[in-house]
Amino acid sequence: MFDYRFQWRVVFRHWPELLEAALLTLQITVLSVMIGLAIGMVLSVWRKSDNPLLYWIAATWVALARNTPALLQIYLAYFGLGSFGLHLSPYTAVLAAISFNNAGYLAEILRGGIDAVNPAQRNASLGLGMNRLQMYAYVIFPQVLRAVFLPITNQIIWAMLGTSLGMIIGLQELTGMTTFLQSQTFRPFEFYLAAAIIYLLVAEIVLIAARLTARLAFRW
Amino acid sequence: MIIIDGVRKSFGTLEVLKGIDLTVEKGEVLCLIGASGSGKSTLLLCINALEPIQAGRVLVDDIDVHARGTNQNALRQKLGIVFQQYNAFPHLTAIDNVALAPRRVLGKSKKLARELAEHHLAHVGLGDKLHHYPSQLSGGQQQRLAIARALAMEPDYMLLDEVTSALDPELVGEVLDTLRLLSDEGITMIAVTHEIPFAREVADRVAFFHQGVIHEIGPAKELINSPRMPRTQEFLGKIL
Amino acid sequence: MSTLSTTFTWQDFLLMLQGAGITFFLTIVSGLFGTIVGFFVGWGRCLGSKLLLYLLGAYIEVIRAVPLIVQFVLFNSFMAIAGFPLSPFISGILTLSIYISAYVAEVVKAGIESVPRRTSMAARGLGMTYLQDFFHVVLPIGTRAVLPSWTGLMLGLMKDTSLIAVLGATPPELLRSSQIIITRIHDPLLILIGAGAFYFVMCFVIARLSGRYERRWQREQEALQ
Repeated sequence: MFDYRFQWRVVFRHWPELLEAALLTLQITVLSVMIGLAIGMVLSVWRKSDNPLLYWIAATWVALARNTPALLQIYLAYFGLGSFGLHLSPYTAVLAAISFNNAGYLAEILRGGIDAVNPAQRNASLGLGMNRLQMYAYVIFPQVLRAVFLPITNQIIWAMLGTSLGMIIGLQELTGMTTFLQSQTFRPFEFYLAAAIIYLLVAEIVLIAARLTARLAFRW
Repeated sequence: MIIIDGVRKSFGTLEVLKGIDLTVEKGEVLCLIGASGSGKSTLLLCINALEPIQAGRVLVDDIDVHARGTNQNALRQKLGIVFQQYNAFPHLTAIDNVALAPRRVLGKSKKLARELAEHHLAHVGLGDKLHHYPSQLSGGQQQRLAIARALAMEPDYMLLDEVTSALDPELVGEVLDTLRLLSDEGITMIAVTHEIPFAREVADRVAFFHQGVIHEIGPAKELINSPRMPRTQEFLGKIL
Repeated sequence: MSTLSTTFTWQDFLLMLQGAGITFFLTIVSGLFGTIVGFFVGWGRCLGSKLLLYLLGAYIEVIRAVPLIVQFVLFNSFMAIAGFPLSPFISGILTLSIYISAYVAEVVKAGIESVPRRTSMAARGLGMTYLQDFFHVVLPIGTRAVLPSWTGLMLGLMKDTSLIAVLGATPPELLRSSQIIITRIHDPLLILIGAGAFYFVMCFVIARLSGRYERRWQREQEALQ
């Protein structure tokens, strides 16, 4: 047992590639959450709409995003859309699929948050002459975001984990790059351990950034 | 002028307003009194279309509030409303609470909206609380904040829905003082209230609601001091 | 199976059906192991030992911040280095179990903490031991409280089994078998939508069933009060 010689130097030699890949992971994570949040807000409002078409679109999106594997969603974006002549790059496919997935989960989270806001805030806003868009933008959602801040943070971490699926369609984010490097050096354990540590760090950075944002944004 | 003409309103099978006719002149202060559940508060929400009606019409300055095609958002800018439960925006400081609608709805500049907010907060005696969040204010202060917020839209009418009912007794006075100030300035007000002495002092007319209809209406002092209808007598006897 | 045909055949459907069966199998086995491990990890965090709380907390944090694919390769290569090389199938199931155990542990802890202290104290006041109280009072009450969350975790696990399979670690489950068919008939959209429908139905049926049980429990609970 353990007659294996660990070689860490080879990992250190490749730190620029790993750093670059980690930044790509971080980038897709942040972008996909921002896109997902924007779409999720619209969907959460549509799910409360009296308009049957809007309700149906939102309910279907949420159900599809939540009841199928994220990997399948990536496959659909990458291979499936080709049937419509839409050929996405691995980067775009992963970003689109993870954003689609985030939007579905975030819509459910936000819907719970809307229910948690005092319903009287609606009349207070409308009574001042606001339209619905203004009401949601300036009164309801600022309060929703605070109410569901913790679940949203969890979703950000989940999105980060989800980006690793990009490896399977050849995207060189952190997992993809790690796979590539270990195939060059035959040092899977060292490289994947390094990747695991970097993921932990990225998650920690995301959580700290989220907490700082919360402290700045939610002073009331 | 607000004209309410045969308004009927139901929640499900429960009819809350059973045909209300009422005219409120510019500059008038009208108080609505009556037992809870008699429909007074619902009428306020029907005047600015926060609740739809089933029959009749409401005309505000000759605009049919509930007609198809009426821009209700624009209409509500003329009709300030203040609720029993203050409903201040918890995520905004006092000055931002008041400045929000002038800025976003009326499209005033940020600077102008904040000046306006400062002015109205000072007006209701909150000039030293500009940067406090609602959670840092007492109930009475939050209610005055809500009044300032409505006033900052420079409405032609104010709808006041039991604005003192949720307050501790010692805080009622400060809010009533603010309302006296407004009535002295000649703002048209429709106020649902349980403060009968206040109604007698400030209102021009008082309407007594009973089971979804206006049971008796008349000049404030006359109606409160010597009500004609037995129901009104009974109600005032209990409450005074 | 005809390997020449470029259209979707009955055999293809059977292959996908079989894949769905393997998805179920992987979910149930790793869900079972993961729940057992997660139960002890979650319980251990509630025993009042600060050391256990933080140590097991670190276990959970690490597992929840590292992608499943990375965990799988890491676990697999570690066992090889340690001199216990496992078949990819076994290490796939073990990785899935460890992975889901971290999430189960959090749910178990939430369940235990959902039981009011005074309920526990009442049981102890009747002379029950810690274990009697735990198994006869805390566990039944806590289980009801967190069953929906646990069901959600198992549905998540079902979708995550696709990852391990795609890496070639297990027999072709639903997504992997779809992939195999795609390489032959070159109509990814149709097959992927078909696979999505399979997942959707499985998730939906389980979610519905558990929802029904929850409501029944709720009614019983209300009837008791």
